Amino acid sequence: MVAEQVEMKKSGPGAARDGPGLSILVGKAKEVIQQAIVDPLTYLANWGRIYSLWPVHLETACCSIEFGAVSGPRFDCERYGILEAFGSLRQCDLVVVHGTVTRKMAPRLRWIYDQMPEPKYCIAMGACSITGGVYFDSYNVLPGVDQVVPVDVYVPGCPPRPEELIDAFLLLQDKIRKQKIR
Amino acid sequence: MSAPPAKTELRQEEKAILEALSSKLGSRITVAYSKPNRIKIIVSPIDLIEVATCARDDLHFDQCANVTGTDFPKDKQIEVTYHLGSIEGAGLRRIILAIACRVPSATPELPSLIEVYPSVNYHEREQAEMLGLVFKGHPNLSRFLLPEDWNDIPPMLKAYRLPGRLEGE
Repeated sequence: MVAEQVEMKKSGPGAARDGPGLSILVGKAKEVIQQAIVDPLTYLANWGRIYSLWPVHLETACCSIEFGAVSGPRFDCERYGILEAFGSLRQCDLVVVHGTVTRKMAPRLRWIYDQMPEPKYCIAMGACSITGGVYFDSYNVLPGVDQVVPVDVYVPGCPPRPEELIDAFLLLQDKIRKQKIR
Repeated sequence: MSAPPAKTELRQEEKAILEALSSKLGSRITVAYSKPNRIKIIVSPIDLIEVATCARDDLHFDQCANVTGTDFPKDKQIEVTYHLGSIEGAGLRRIILAIACRVPSATPELPSLIEVYPSVNYHEREQAEMLGLVFKGHPNLSRFLLPEDWNDIPPMLKAYRLPGRLEGE
């Protein structure tokens, strides 16, 4: 591949003046920097983010019972690095929307989401937070929480089993593993 | 296992309540129905406070458990029902006395019962917000349960339509 590019550079205009070696180095500088610095840094940063996903303690509806089960010793999502951060919103990476979000709660949810530092992720848990669920034609229930915050993973169910929520955490970790540093 | 027989006969306590109501208030009340453990009477808004005071002092219904409201668009009326219960009264523990009061939808004003039963404070606030009622004498009828930026007719009225949904209906 290098030989081909040398050939191309030689045949291109202005290639003879700079010499082949410098042209190759300058032309491939972006790839070299990418492979030498950015990729390891991305891997490291993503590795750190994957195993310290701290959800906000925000319980809007009854799906929080299932989340309690997930946090408890039987399903124990802490072994994947998911541990509820009770201290401050500034320590949180993840907001799990537990079920129904009313129109009165929607500005509060956005307010909480805006206070979290980047990068931040959102999981919509339960039928109510995806489409409104059984309250889809109610006067005060939001038909889908993705009108307010960007959602990464949807977890259907009413309520979802704890295994499904753990599966959503693993999906989110896969998504973070593939993301690029900005 | 056979179902227990339906209790339709009034007990002694319900009969006593009906007699006391008719003797004390006479023609100002209308008994909508009287079933075991539940009696519903209809009064006009003018007599509401007097009937409630009578129910509290003479009939020993010492608490107001709930206040409900219903919209009747065909009659152009809104019905407000006070569900009274009793804790102290002898033999009244299971009985609920419902005092219903109908007001026209155009001017939905009725006196507040907060002087008689202080516990109706939040219930009346909720009904005022959900049905657009005005309880005269209530100390605080400000925004309670709906979102702060609510800009529509009260949602429990039958004329309310969800914006953006169910257009054909």
